[in-house]
Amino acid sequence: MHDFIERITAYIHWALFLLLETLSGFLLFQYNHYQGSVWFTQANAVAAMVHEWEEVALAYLRLPEENAALVRRNIVLQQQNDLLRHGNLPTSLLRKGDTIASFTLPVNETGEAYSQIEARIIDNSVRKRDNMLVINVGSDDGVAPEMGVVSGTGVVGIVSAVTSHYALVMSVLNSHSSISCRLRGTEYFGYLKWKGGSPLRACMDDVPRHAHIKKGDIVETSGFSAVFPAGIFLGRVAEIKNSSDGLAYELEILLSTDLANLRHVSVINNHSKAELDSLLSQ
Amino acid sequence: MAWALLILLFQVLVLDQVHPWGYGAPLLCPIIIITLPFGTSRSVALLWGFGTGFIADIFAGTSGISSAALTLIAFIQPPLLELMAPRDTEEAFRPSFAVMGRWKYLWFISQLLLIHHLVYFALEGFSYFYIKDIAISMGISYVASLLLILLAEHVRKDEK
Repeated sequence: MHDFIERITAYIHWALFLLLETLSGFLLFQYNHYQGSVWFTQANAVAAMVHEWEEVALAYLRLPEENAALVRRNIVLQQQNDLLRHGNLPTSLLRKGDTIASFTLPVNETGEAYSQIEARIIDNSVRKRDNMLVINVGSDDGVAPEMGVVSGTGVVGIVSAVTSHYALVMSVLNSHSSISCRLRGTEYFGYLKWKGGSPLRACMDDVPRHAHIKKGDIVETSGFSAVFPAGIFLGRVAEIKNSSDGLAYELEILLSTDLANLRHVSVINNHSKAELDSLLSQ
Repeated sequence: MAWALLILLFQVLVLDQVHPWGYGAPLLCPIIIITLPFGTSRSVALLWGFGTGFIADIFAGTSGISSAALTLIAFIQPPLLELMAPRDTEEAFRPSFAVMGRWKYLWFISQLLLIHHLVYFALEGFSYFYIKDIAISMGISYVASLLLILLAEHVRKDEK
């Protein structure tokens, strides 16, 4: 009996090893699904708080770049403003009481304005296969899953889970990300995907071979899904390649947004999305 | 303990934000497991491995990946250290350049770190077949981590 117990205790580390590796495996498969719980991700309360302190401490150091980005964004907004003023969009479409900040985005097909919720990125990664961001707004600020996130220079990602004060955003740089896009000025559309590697390059699949494409063409959101309004900048065509089956083109896209160096973003709140969703599910 | 916390903080706050040429990132956490003292009970070592990995995972959003990799090297560290320890040592010691000799310790670190990186990047790239990208990330991260660990070991030596 004594011998038996001794033998068991001598091998207990094997059992513990297997147990802990199984537990790791469980965490790996259970929580790496971004739709799952937010408890074991960067968006849980403790981790988010630490990241927020870090963000606050470092924000000061990056003020010069921030300033430059704001100026650039200002220019974009001015151009948008100009379009609105001289374009065909009747100003009556704008919702009453909208401030300048919430009216800079175009209106959607159903005639309602998208509004923006300003947010700061408090945690970000670009080195993984499935990158996620954490932003400092949550359900209390009106953020809900499936909302689009954009920066001054283009699309950033889609909200995948929210807590009351934080939201976990699936970055464009995520193998599960697939954003409906089109070539500006044409009707050719496809999906923007990221296949790893450089955080500045993504690809657009399924572009028909009869499409006339040249390097430098602009790729923008198609507006087919209610997540992003049409016409938001994604990037430019950097290279035109044949798809693996040879039936279509695969475009390499140079993304307009440097996700590795991003601080301020906006969450797009499409007021009619719920309506559209219920229509589509009927 | 304080040393481990310092390493973890540095990993989470600084290194997780560093991406040399857009690839990989230096991983300093393994040093906590690599330098577990000679004579540490194997079960205690495993708990250290899993605990360190679990915390690193939560902050980096890589749930399960670090904990799996660090638990594995925590499993291997005690027997490997026993194998490579100087014959004449009886009492517990913390692996270091001073005790084990320069090349032997470097070899000790390199082996454990390599195993850690193989598992870490295999799990991270799981189900994606971009072998080239994964290999580049792993290579860059491996070299960066190794240099950092050597640097950290020198800092620790100077403190004494």
